[in-house]
Amino acid sequence: MEGRPADDSELIARALRGDAAAYEEIVQRYQQIAFRTAYAVTGSAADAEDAAQEGFVKAFRALERFRPGAELRPWLLRIVGNEARNKIRSTGRRHQLELRLTEGFRPGDAAPSPEAVAVASDERRRLLAMVNALSEDDRLVITSRYFLELSGEETAAALGIPEGTVKSRLSRALGRLRARVEEAASA
Amino acid sequence: MPDLEQQLSELAAAIDWPATPHLKVVIPDRAHRSWLSLPARRGGSGWGRGLAVAVAALLIVALALVAYPPSRGAIAHWVNLHLNIERVEHPPTPSTLPSGTLGDQLGLGLPYTLSDAERLVDWRITVPATLGQPDAVYVKHPPTLGEVTLVYARAPDIPVSGQTGVSVLVTEARGRVNETYFQKIVGPNTTIEEVSVGGRAGYWISGHPHDFIFTDADGQPFFDSMRLATNTLVFDRDGTIVRIEADTNKERAIEIALSLQ
Repeated sequence: MEGRPADDSELIARALRGDAAAYEEIVQRYQQIAFRTAYAVTGSAADAEDAAQEGFVKAFRALERFRPGAELRPWLLRIVGNEARNKIRSTGRRHQLELRLTEGFRPGDAAPSPEAVAVASDERRRLLAMVNALSEDDRLVITSRYFLELSGEETAAALGIPEGTVKSRLSRALGRLRARVEEAASA
Repeated sequence: MPDLEQQLSELAAAIDWPATPHLKVVIPDRAHRSWLSLPARRGGSGWGRGLAVAVAALLIVALALVAYPPSRGAIAHWVNLHLNIERVEHPPTPSTLPSGTLGDQLGLGLPYTLSDAERLVDWRITVPATLGQPDAVYVKHPPTLGEVTLVYARAPDIPVSGQTGVSVLVTEARGRVNETYFQKIVGPNTTIEEVSVGGRAGYWISGHPHDFIFTDADGQPFFDSMRLATNTLVFDRDGTIVRIEADTNKERAIEIALSLQ
């Protein structure tokens, strides 16, 4: 076992036997995607931290009910997504998600000219601004699929909607975003 | 121009996500999963073993029911009769407590042992010696640094709230009391009196306050509820706001506060 990271089912089995370190490893493994997913839903880093933390506690309590052989990540994201929505309901506040680009981001692998970088960065900033300006449903589904890189199943789990709804919602969201991009290009 | 979906995919690496915090996940004490649950029993003795045997027997009957259709009617009749008799002989005692955990009902957060709660917050949780060890401990976030509630189901000379089934709640959170804030939100039948709690500034809020605001560790106003909507003592204990909610008088509340250790 040494030198090889334990797979999820192994960690779950150990956690169920009372091995706290095994569950800590699960938390370590998934805390980033859990936190970011919760952030996408709540729009607040503090609320996302609470939701992710409480989500992991609830997941531990429900671990006995986890179906052996199933994927752990969508299951965790469903719990964390629920917690994030509960957080919005319980606090009565919803923050507008404002995604930003990292400073100094250099798109592409080659070393482009400073001008090319500036143009590319501007294009990306404009595109991100358009995503930010979409309706909440549209923004969430695009953020989940493209920025968080969740699968369709994971997106459905995190947003608490059927997978078929993810597909139709994503299609409509892309259509609306495309229209805005084209409108901006022709202006 | 690249395809829109491709552009979105390329943006993924450039999104400036907030730094992922190191999550402190403390596993809740299973004995406190439900409100004031009895101490967890170890081993299979007494009623626990008896119950297990009864459940196993019922399971065997149920399997027999499925496996042997001709006997279904007779067995079903027996099971039904048996269960009916049990219901008559042992009527359930009506509970005065609402269903669900108290934490869920009152928004107290999740249940923990006192020692686990200590690990979740950055201050030393104080417990009133006059009340002894709490019946349950809850921790919730926000506020940013957490809020701890000690629950006392019964306390000498203090009535039990019919709404919640508890006598006293002691709530602790990092922050500052801001009188200006809570003066504005108390109702017309509520009065606020400045008091001294062992030399510390405090407030005795009598009446039926429902809401409370304090300045949290980030300097932001944090809105909270008075869970028992009854007399409340609030004071600042070295940067930790302590609230004692109980249907009692000022002197008794201060006595509880002075016994915090």
